[in-house]
Amino acid sequence: MAEPEVVIDVDEVSYTYAPDTPLALDHVSLQIRKGDFLALLGQNGAGKTTLAKTFNGLLLPTRGSVYVGGQDTRNATVSSLAARVGYCYQNPDHQIFNTTVYREASYGPRNLGLPPNEIAARVDHALQLVDLADKKDAYPFLLGKGERQKLAVASVLAMGSPILVVDEPTTGLDLHGIRSIMTLLRQWNQIEGRTIVIITHDLHIVAEYVPRTVVMAQGKIVADGPTRSILSDGAALATTGLKPPQITRVAQRLSHHGIPPDVMTVDEMLACLRTALSSNKDARTSQEGVSDAGWLQHLH
Amino acid sequence: MPVGYSIYIEKPSYVHQRIDPRTKLFALCTSFVLALLFNNPAYLGVLLVAVIAIGLWAKLPLKSFRAYLIYALWFLILGVLIWPFYIHQGPVVLRVGSAQFTRDGLLFGLAMGLRVGLMVTAAGVWMMSTSPQHMTLGLLRLGLPYKAGMAMSATIRFVPLINAERATIMEAQRARGLDLSRGNPFRRAVRYVAVIGPMLVQALDLAQSLALAMEARAFGARHSRTSITEIRLTRVDWYIMIGCVLLIAAAIAFRILGIGVLIRGYL
Repeated sequence: MAEPEVVIDVDEVSYTYAPDTPLALDHVSLQIRKGDFLALLGQNGAGKTTLAKTFNGLLLPTRGSVYVGGQDTRNATVSSLAARVGYCYQNPDHQIFNTTVYREASYGPRNLGLPPNEIAARVDHALQLVDLADKKDAYPFLLGKGERQKLAVASVLAMGSPILVVDEPTTGLDLHGIRSIMTLLRQWNQIEGRTIVIITHDLHIVAEYVPRTVVMAQGKIVADGPTRSILSDGAALATTGLKPPQITRVAQRLSHHGIPPDVMTVDEMLACLRTALSSNKDARTSQEGVSDAGWLQHLH
Repeated sequence: MPVGYSIYIEKPSYVHQRIDPRTKLFALCTSFVLALLFNNPAYLGVLLVAVIAIGLWAKLPLKSFRAYLIYALWFLILGVLIWPFYIHQGPVVLRVGSAQFTRDGLLFGLAMGLRVGLMVTAAGVWMMSTSPQHMTLGLLRLGLPYKAGMAMSATIRFVPLINAERATIMEAQRARGLDLSRGNPFRRAVRYVAVIGPMLVQALDLAQSLALAMEARAFGARHSRTSITEIRLTRVDWYIMIGCVLLIAAAIAFRILGIGVLIRGYL
């Protein structure tokens, strides 16, 4: 099967914010393919946001080049790249300024110069996706934090960019808010086929929702691959100060009981435990006695 | 002109550390009065050099004056271009069509530019050599209510923060297709609403959280309060202030006698 085309090609990019300061990006190369759903993972100051800002030309590389759909970002304006790469900021209050939810969501598409009926269709669709369709006349500043976050995402979704970068989509949200945003991004990726990059340091949402993980530390990419193999490699993660998700670490401790070491979520863990239990039951019928996995029954 | 961050430059100088902020403020006012009492470019030029000398004594780097002087240069050019149309005293040195430029007209324009340069440079030296804390403290000791003083120092304190917010907001809106480089100035100004709006909201939000946080720590519970750094007027301060008063008196006398005054009847 041919691999999908590369939509963002980061080629040996270095970046410094000011001369004589340490490199914020240090010879970074990364290819993002159409339909990818990837997470830039790393601690504060690792270079995640700096890297993501080169995707739409907000930052131009000090050395190296970034190509978006084959075009060097140096030869394009941010507003023209905005049609291809949507960028959603961490804090919704950095972008909300209109008097209604609808006007806010239509700001981006209007900037792109789309015809009115196209704008209306896109905005309606985006608001529907984030569950704000019935609030389109509401005053954005009176929405709750979770809703403002969703509005910020919707206002970028409405631009229809095939690539979407979301910076810390879950900061300050409760579990319900996190789930609804991540489910939305997953749908946008799987159903609409959009390429999505999220920036986060939350391993758990990465483990649960995002198939590809790029780990950054000190301006470099230190790991890039399927989330499952990256997040279960405790030794490699440790070099960046991260640890595998708790449930993965539990699984690794239980590996000699037949639990695979790359369990990512609680649901997967339960499924593995059920399998282990039922095979254990078979073993017990043939051989009475204390079983290794006897305590598992309690869990079940 | 440097705007944005506090322009204070920390240096271990006599002016920074030993002279009371009130004295420095008085000296600044003196320089303003002197700047307005003379309109002869030679006198104003000498005063400007004196102000720069004080700045150098305060160990301020020479290049820190550049921004003020460049700013003043615009007024100088403007003054030399405009004043000759109003001042016709003295010999004619240049004729362009029916317009006549006299020597005194050109010199007066030069003086007006130097006057602006003198005033902004003096204010610059004052701000570069007086820390915001001392500046506020000086005003408090002069009778400014301390809540107003707090508001003043908070304003200075939050400028860099608001500026960083502005940069972030600008990026967020550019990522949504905002283009501030296109179109005529009026349209660009209208587009700027997308940046000003969130900025105002953020600033109000910040002000409210700050007020709450301060009230939670009993801000305003007492009418007066002490300060962690104390300032005291020393003998040197009094000498400087007496010197300033004498300078002002002398300058008024000069004005009445017409010394240092190029054009009579003009400020």
